[in-house]
Amino acid sequence: MLETLPVLQLPTKTWMPRLSFAPKYSAPRGDTLVVIFLRGAADVLNMVVPHGEEAYYQLRPTLGIARPDDSKKMKEQRAVDLDGFFGLHPNMISLLAAWQSKQLAIIHACGAPDESRSHFKSMELMERGIGDERGPASGWIGRHLATLNTGNPSPLRAVSMGDNPQRSLSGGVPVSALRSIADFHLGGDARALQQMRAALNYVYQNDELGQDTLSIMDTLQKLDPANYQSTNPQYPDSDFGLALKQTAMLIKAEVGLEVSAIDLGGWDTHFTQGSLNGIMPNLIKDLADGLAAFHADLTDYMGKLTVVTMSEFGRRAYENGSLGTDHGHGSMMMVLGGNVDGGKVHGQWPGLSAGQLIGPGDLAVTTDYRDVLSEVLLKRLNNPATHEVFPEYQPVMRNIFL
Amino acid sequence: MSLTRRDFLKLATFFSSAAALNACAPALRGFANKTPLNLLSAVEFTALNRITFGAKMEERARFAEIGLQAYIEEQLAFESINDLTLGLQLSNFSTLNMSANEIEAITNELFDGYNRRRPIHELRQATFLRQLYSQRQLYEVMVDFWSDHFNIFIEKEPIFYLKTVDDREVIRKHALGNFRDLLWASAHSPAMLTYLDNQANVKGAPNENYARELMELHTLGVNGGYTQNDVMQLARCLTGWSVKKHFWLGEFVFKPKQHADGVKNVLGLAIQESGQHEAEQVIEHLALHPSTAKFICAKLARRFIADNPPQEIIEKAAQAFLATKGDIKSVLRVILFDGLAFAQPKYKRPLNFVLSALRALNAEANGATLFKPLLRMGQLYFNWTTPDGYPDASEAWQGNLMPRWQFAFELIRNEIPKTTCDLNALLDVSPTGSLQSNADTLASLLLGAPLDRLFLNRMLDTIHSTEAAPEETLQIIAASLIASPAFQWR
Repeated sequence: MLETLPVLQLPTKTWMPRLSFAPKYSAPRGDTLVVIFLRGAADVLNMVVPHGEEAYYQLRPTLGIARPDDSKKMKEQRAVDLDGFFGLHPNMISLLAAWQSKQLAIIHACGAPDESRSHFKSMELMERGIGDERGPASGWIGRHLATLNTGNPSPLRAVSMGDNPQRSLSGGVPVSALRSIADFHLGGDARALQQMRAALNYVYQNDELGQDTLSIMDTLQKLDPANYQSTNPQYPDSDFGLALKQTAMLIKAEVGLEVSAIDLGGWDTHFTQGSLNGIMPNLIKDLADGLAAFHADLTDYMGKLTVVTMSEFGRRAYENGSLGTDHGHGSMMMVLGGNVDGGKVHGQWPGLSAGQLIGPGDLAVTTDYRDVLSEVLLKRLNNPATHEVFPEYQPVMRNIFL
Repeated sequence: MSLTRRDFLKLATFFSSAAALNACAPALRGFANKTPLNLLSAVEFTALNRITFGAKMEERARFAEIGLQAYIEEQLAFESINDLTLGLQLSNFSTLNMSANEIEAITNELFDGYNRRRPIHELRQATFLRQLYSQRQLYEVMVDFWSDHFNIFIEKEPIFYLKTVDDREVIRKHALGNFRDLLWASAHSPAMLTYLDNQANVKGAPNENYARELMELHTLGVNGGYTQNDVMQLARCLTGWSVKKHFWLGEFVFKPKQHADGVKNVLGLAIQESGQHEAEQVIEHLALHPSTAKFICAKLARRFIADNPPQEIIEKAAQAFLATKGDIKSVLRVILFDGLAFAQPKYKRPLNFVLSALRALNAEANGATLFKPLLRMGQLYFNWTTPDGYPDASEAWQGNLMPRWQFAFELIRNEIPKTTCDLNALLDVSPTGSLQSNADTLASLLLGAPLDRLFLNRMLDTIHSTEAAPEETLQIIAASLIASPAFQWR
């Protein structure tokens, strides 16, 4: 079901033709996709807590998050119940509104088949969207952009909110990193700017990325980041908050944004990760409050927006001796958007009992992350080429979208 | 995305051919009474840019005088290269030579005038000044390489008072020494053990973090033939490897009471109970493992030769690694002597970009004022959070041009505090020194060869059309060359 697209007000005349190759498929632009990668292997068992499992509390006597009905704990120390079996970490309570509006879905025990438990290998395979290293070197988002012609000439078709473009974006169209929209200018007075621009335009005459950078500079100059007002809840004062806020700004400015890739790092919590306070709870709060603000800010745009969170793998089901968790396997994904079959924890729960854990004591994977992303591609991005985006993989539709 | 020579020379049409270069030589007379600018072939220029942080004029002269092989040998014998001037510049940074205990003491809030940022700041600034001014360029390039290989994020608590010692006693001490000694020192380094949580790896409650990265990132590589069980067993060997918290705080300590009992099996070796010696046996085994040789040599080849270096060079270097039991210089000789001829363009990492501009134009800088631009470009010293170190592959760095452009213009206009770039001193600005000849000189310094005449003339027309004054024009040319696609590659 394709919706009619608003006519974009694009200053196309300054833009160079962008597609030097011919994408196999043509379709109107689908949703704006926001992909949030939680780097370092997020401890999802303390984010979406299986409070209905006794084994969880045996495995995590210190780190475990109390049951929603645990009368020995204060309310703010207990999980926030979602469905009688799973509950959110109390620092994620800000996401309850999105959950109750049925625009937030959770896919638990989700992940990749790779069992190296290596951050770097797992991230690489996941960002390239492949099962083993012999697959294509480009990234899954890059291949999505390269296979689908959406008739969108914007240099802001895909952006990376950070210092450098993510691996997942590679191989499609040139992608610019946007750490800060406010800093994305050359400085100087009008005359100096004109001189710099002319010289750069000249030396970059044959360079697509350079031309894109110039056009982005022109486009962003018209925005006014210092005075951007988000509707109500404030974004967290963090790099992640800024990345989401800038994404919202670009969406509202209708500059042709199709994909925004955002990293939130620091999840490799081997040591004193904290249960209710500390490193991990702070990260959870940054994530949840950021997403909640984004959701509230873009209420009117939710019908054309899909946000996905992912992480390279999950952490060991049992806590280690230093009040942290070692590398595990099964992870969790969240999908936020107006067309999500939300307010539900999707996926088959494999359980945390001895016979149900795998390897050294890890949550099993029952939903491949590529199933979720394939459904995003097919149902929300109008891209039928899932076999090219995820080569040698036959996705199973998990009905995460309505 | 593979990059061919052709991609590199996107500006190829702007460059003169090698033959035409000689014809252009008279245009370089602008250097009269300055150090003559030696023109190197494209291959030589690339080689020099791989073994330095960007070729300085005098380095080009020396290279042209003695040739590649002798130049590399001279650089490998780094201890005999006089670096006194740099030594004087660094003498103000007193934390560089302190023990962890001393650094902690002066950054402790009990100390009058304490400043917790001081050791971090001094180490960053010293690293920058060494890369900019040291005559021992290949040595500094290797220090940079090992700082990535044994990456430590300096902002993780409480590494701010430990990293300085790691930098001095692990990385700098062994950068051109023996890999086994380097690995041994790193494994006993309090900064590394803290960074990868091994002080929390204790009997009955193992923490796998360091054990895993020791095999995955420091030695064997992820496909080097270890299993999850090896990780868990090595973690048991490493229980009790810790850092002193009192009396000589910040020193390595083995705590027998925290060490796991029993025999351990790592990589097929039955490790008998022997305390600290258990992990040390494994470290010895890992240091000279064939997978390690291959993994290290492949990384070096990627750094010095190409993102996809020839397999034969890696094999040959790995053989040298094993035959010499990890002698880094012997490995480098293979990589450089056999490999540089196969060099493919590499996208400059931010440090290379900034330093090569400063070095080519003989600019002066104190470093501290460049930390912010480097951060925006994505590569401030010791600021990469994960243990894999800053990426090396070209592709990882493409897509963030704006901060590089900003730097180019700010540098040339002398808008960066404590950083001076004196074009007038560099060029002939007398009435006879034409804009063209100055532009040729700038292009030769920065890109290795003058610009194609037609390309330059059109560039001048473009700049003239913006009504730039002559002095502005020269600045715009210099800045545009630094900002240009060609200068992003080395």
